[in-house]
Amino acid sequence: MISRRDFVVGASGAAAMAAGLGSLPAQAQTVDLLKMFVPAAPGGGWDQTARSLEAVLRATGAVNGVQITNVPGAGGAVGLPQFLNNWRGQGNSLMVAGMVMVGSLIANKSPLKITTAVPVARLTGEFLALAVPASSPFKDAKDFVAALKADPTKVPVAGGSAGGSDHILLGTIAKAVGVPAARVSYVAFAGGGPAMAALLGSQVAAGISGYGEFGEQIKAGKLRVLAISADKRQDGIDAPTFKEQGIDVELFNWRGVFAPPGVSDADRNAMIAMISKMAATPQWAEMCKQRDWTQITLTGDGYKAFLDAEVARIEGILKDLGLA
Amino acid sequence: MEGFNGLMMGFGIALTPMNLLWCLVGTTLGTAIGVLPGLGPALTIALLLPITFKVEPTSAFILFAGIYYGAMYGGSTTSILLNTPGESASIVTSMEGNKMARNGRAGAALATAAIGSFVAGTIGTLGIAFLAPFVVDWALKFGPAEYFALMVLAFTTVSAVLGNSAVRGLTALFFGIWLGMIGIDLQTGQARFTFGVQELFDGINVIVVAVGLFAVGETLYNAATYKEGETKITPLKGSLMMTKLEWKRSIGPWLRGTAFGFPIGAMPAGGAEIPTFLSYYAEKKLTKYPEEFGTVGAIEGVAGPEAANNASAAGVLVPMLTLGLPTSATAAIMLSAFQSYGINPGPLLLQTQPALVWGLIASLFIGNVMLLVLNLPLIGLWVKMLNIPAPQLYAGILVFATIGTYGISQSYIDLILLYAIGIVGYLMRRYDFPTAPVIIGMILGPLAEQNFRQAMTISAGDWTVFFTRPLSLTIIVISVLLVVAPKLYGMVKARQAVA
Amino acid sequence: MRGRAEAGLAKGELTVALGVVALAFVVLWQAWSIPVSPIYAKVGPTLVPIMAGLGLLVFGLALLVSALRGGWQPDEEKAVMPDRRALGWVLAGLALNVLTIGPLGFTLASILLFVCVTRGFGSRNMLRDAWIGAVFALIAYLGFAKTLNINIGSGVIENGVEWVITMVRGR
Repeated sequence: MISRRDFVVGASGAAAMAAGLGSLPAQAQTVDLLKMFVPAAPGGGWDQTARSLEAVLRATGAVNGVQITNVPGAGGAVGLPQFLNNWRGQGNSLMVAGMVMVGSLIANKSPLKITTAVPVARLTGEFLALAVPASSPFKDAKDFVAALKADPTKVPVAGGSAGGSDHILLGTIAKAVGVPAARVSYVAFAGGGPAMAALLGSQVAAGISGYGEFGEQIKAGKLRVLAISADKRQDGIDAPTFKEQGIDVELFNWRGVFAPPGVSDADRNAMIAMISKMAATPQWAEMCKQRDWTQITLTGDGYKAFLDAEVARIEGILKDLGLA
Repeated sequence: MEGFNGLMMGFGIALTPMNLLWCLVGTTLGTAIGVLPGLGPALTIALLLPITFKVEPTSAFILFAGIYYGAMYGGSTTSILLNTPGESASIVTSMEGNKMARNGRAGAALATAAIGSFVAGTIGTLGIAFLAPFVVDWALKFGPAEYFALMVLAFTTVSAVLGNSAVRGLTALFFGIWLGMIGIDLQTGQARFTFGVQELFDGINVIVVAVGLFAVGETLYNAATYKEGETKITPLKGSLMMTKLEWKRSIGPWLRGTAFGFPIGAMPAGGAEIPTFLSYYAEKKLTKYPEEFGTVGAIEGVAGPEAANNASAAGVLVPMLTLGLPTSATAAIMLSAFQSYGINPGPLLLQTQPALVWGLIASLFIGNVMLLVLNLPLIGLWVKMLNIPAPQLYAGILVFATIGTYGISQSYIDLILLYAIGIVGYLMRRYDFPTAPVIIGMILGPLAEQNFRQAMTISAGDWTVFFTRPLSLTIIVISVLLVVAPKLYGMVKARQAVA
Repeated sequence: MRGRAEAGLAKGELTVALGVVALAFVVLWQAWSIPVSPIYAKVGPTLVPIMAGLGLLVFGLALLVSALRGGWQPDEEKAVMPDRRALGWVLAGLALNVLTIGPLGFTLASILLFVCVTRGFGSRNMLRDAWIGAVFALIAYLGFAKTLNINIGSGVIENGVEWVITMVRGR
């Protein structure tokens, strides 16, 4: 295994040079090759985060080359053990992961913990939205909650796979308004497309997804957003938060980067410095805006404290949902 | 007429030399990756996503569309020649296609696949250009209850592949359903039959099972029964291309396949496999040459499913372009490419980005023509592959299957599964079990289950939803008729004979 | 019924039938142990798995009955004895491939697989087959590594080839 990895480093370094990428001579603080581990398939949210990081880090001259390894499966539960074991102690590497991994590790009853990896920085978050078809009788989140309280089984809500962020949000809403989370009727769909189709076709009463996925449908007048799970009103989004409507719910589907266990403090600090610097660049701000990501940068120890609290919180919700 | 004007504008955009070049690169690359089991268009486009940082949007989407259509063409080639399907939508093609190849009609099978893909792709693309809004309205009427009814209908097609014993065929079907259950349950997040193996949490890839059962299983079987000097493969009998009769037998299946593929592909949870099953079933029932099915290979069984698979690929683009809904993995990746250009795909895409959308649609037409031109001359070359002596041919097939399985995912579990299922495939051949029902069970089982449970959750546990919704009821009635009618007809006939 | 002259017991078929019945029990046992949360008690995650298990059981038992009555294969097919040596070679190739593909790399593992399978099919010229396998595997490896930047499993041979390529390019 080790020999293969060493080879990969050499080969892709050479390939990067040959392709003329980052052709400027290395500067003092430049990392020659950053290796990123994505415990998900190419194309998903973590992979896009990794590739956006790559683009910005290269454009700003922070790194010369980037090599991305994808190990998909089970919401990151397949990849994590590889990162923890095989990448141990490698100072030039980062894993991209997020809230979904916390949830899937708990739901899959995995013995591993995300906190075994070294938290470097939380970078972005996507808040979720609760939406209904344009023809729905629900005008705001209060209508929805009233119906939920009356009979939760009569309010089917569509979203992604069970135990994912959409499901967690519904559980959080139910808990906040005093409806037993186990009684809500959540309809899990394989992916955003089928879930959105069910919502557009009024097959379900409401749907939960990242706000970005609903945005265009709302503009076209096909859907109506009842509430978003952000902490405060968002620029350019004409939708109230749950909190504004008296429902104490806040949820970000956050994504961040981790170093492997066993890296030196110097390496860890260098990574934190590099990522903090990157997060402050206008290029990164532009990238986030394009993709509807909210910047919620939090580094080092602050991130670690956040993680501990987050793990406990999600475990509680998943227990209520009967998934942990 | 709006569609016509748009299309003309699209051709203006797509026909620039640079965009034609992108289209050529895309279709060529697509054909190459379609050939490989395990590497599909979704993964390839995902790997090429960084290109969006460098290339203008229209060109990038022309490239991606080329890859998408190309992969659908490529998938059939290995199915026919090596019994190693490259994509799940071309599994059905291998059933008759490989039989034809072994009996000297590889050229005809490849030709009917290529031309059928062209016909279906072209009609499908016309459908995108002119029918998209209507098709989408209709497709959104399908909820979980309707999908479940559709799965019931698709399950009746298993009767076409049961072979000569219902008991063995149904054993294979239930084995497939069980394989499909392995992994995390979508509705409740519970692990099922994973035996604690994390790699099984996302389920078993149907391609691993298909390649294991077909290619590995057959290699083992042939090794066990191989006699030196004896050849079981006739590389070529008669003309290389299709004969006049073969043309005549293909046209109906092409059109019917397209009719199955396009609308079902356009449904948000329709998929590409179900229309291929339905098409195979229809052709087997309608053919004038039923004795060729499963023996020397019937050309209808290649022409129909191949057309269905390409038409469904076109259908998938309908919800993507009209509503911004990604209903397949490839569409989802293409949507994320839109996003990296700051374009948010949605119902207004056509209004806000007409040049992009019509350029893409026009390039689909061009890509289709290119694929035909690329693929027909290659047939002669492909057929020569069957002249490779058996030892090297089978060894090559196994190495090839390994690339697709281990090479892409680097997963030992997948590799071990591939070989283990290969051994199961050997035993099934040795003891006369049909293998196709395993694939049908594996694809339809979980789909039927999830849609059934979604429908039940939505109805708050009311069993009658499947019969009170008109569309769902209609499909169920059709399925029942398909099963019962032939028997009733037989009984009536018998009674008349007695009387 | 085909009414076989002998005891009417088909060993191979009997084993297969017993295998299906055994699988059915494993499936049912595992299906019952899937945890069902109170939420989804109506149509839970166990319904279809149990149906699959019951289906396998019913048809497994039908196969068993058939096997006890002499089996379902025509006599001439029963008479065909599998070529165990050939089968052994191919299976050995598969096993070797699984064991070596990680530590030794894709190409070397493919060569081993190639040689074993060709040997199983009666080819005697192992050296020539090894060469064919090597060329085939290397083309595949480089195709992936160079066009899509995917590493399909590198080892000794791949590293050597990559080294040569870098050297040539460097000049």
